[in-house]
Amino acid sequence: MIGIGGQPLFMLPFGDIVLYFTPFTLTLFILALVFTVLVIISKPERQIDIVFGGDAYLAKEISISEMKFRRFMAIACGLASMGAMVTGDIFDFALFTSLVGICNVGIVAAVKSRHVQNAAYQYGLVAMSATVPLFAGAAIVAATTGTLSILELALPGATKVPLFVKALLTLGVMGEGMAPFYAAKAEMFRAPGAPYVIMCSLSSLLIFLRVIEVVLTV
Amino acid sequence: MWNEYSVGLALVMISAVIGFLALLREQDDLHRLLIIDLVEIPSLAIIALLGTDLAEALILPGLVVGIAELLALSQIYVTKEGLRKRPVRGLHIEVVERAHAPVIIPALLVGYGIVLSGFTGGAVAALGAIFFVISRGSTDSYELVEMASGIAWAAWIASFFVFMFFPQYWYAGVMGAAVGILVKVAAKMTLVGSMWGEAE
Repeated sequence: MIGIGGQPLFMLPFGDIVLYFTPFTLTLFILALVFTVLVIISKPERQIDIVFGGDAYLAKEISISEMKFRRFMAIACGLASMGAMVTGDIFDFALFTSLVGICNVGIVAAVKSRHVQNAAYQYGLVAMSATVPLFAGAAIVAATTGTLSILELALPGATKVPLFVKALLTLGVMGEGMAPFYAAKAEMFRAPGAPYVIMCSLSSLLIFLRVIEVVLTV
Repeated sequence: MWNEYSVGLALVMISAVIGFLALLREQDDLHRLLIIDLVEIPSLAIIALLGTDLAEALILPGLVVGIAELLALSQIYVTKEGLRKRPVRGLHIEVVERAHAPVIIPALLVGYGIVLSGFTGGAVAALGAIFFVISRGSTDSYELVEMASGIAWAAWIASFFVFMFFPQYWYAGVMGAAVGILVKVAAKMTLVGSMWGEAE
């Protein structure tokens, strides 16, 4: 397989579901792993509001339980991103991607601010509607080619996936955390709690890079 | 060109487009959540159109993801709108005679579910259990049912390990998996709506 990702370095077959690392996905996997470890060990920041034109500032109080929940969600998001990086199965990729979407909503949903919750809700609606093209794309891949394995689809003699289906997959991943639907997430970034919120952007970036690889390979 | 799959796909796509159009026109947050739940059904239908046993295996995770997102978003909606359970007062409906539903209906459903076994049987048995609980107006706590669900799930996983490592004992694996998934699905469906607990 000579794709955009390069030769697979390592394969772990579970029946017809094969986990594999190419140099490309290995890089992304390590990035997700390092950031997940950082989320586990780092201490969250306190958001500081500075009063404009004066010396006064105020630090926002955030409860421990809220931070614990958000850390859990960030770790789950990191695990889901890692899964999306290593999987060799298109349907698994769709599942991990929608899991990333749910976790992104969960990271900010614990914040006790109406604006942030409103943004999280709107983003959740987008992510939920994006599961339709995502799963539809994965199912039509199986219907047109008879397999879901990325490795088999990458073989030279394999049936090529129709362009429309690739567009569906990409649209689904975009809805789970990409521009232009990203606008709904901008408000979410105003939520306090530095390392956890960044997991939203990082996971989006990773699944975006991975879906490009998948779409160009199959 | 126009075989059964294409016709089905076209129909499902049209219904998905109708659902998305409704989503565009709707402004109310709660209604949009409900419409999105409706729109998810075409995506399950597209998977079901595969018509193989693979489709059956793929529908389950798709359904679970949809339900998980629906539960998460409805919880966010409840928090965001500040909704809380409030007792209804001053509602006097004259009821001549309030009687429990006959036990035979849930008993039949649960019995039929056990005969069916597996996932479908679990769903049927759960329907019977939910019917029983609702018709009795029970307010028991469900910690024990939650635990049974967890143990059944573990049994289900253990049966899969039997398939993988000791294929000669496949019959024990089949039975363990069937009973495990039956109890797990039945318990899970009874729990929907009760596991949120009594907040406040």
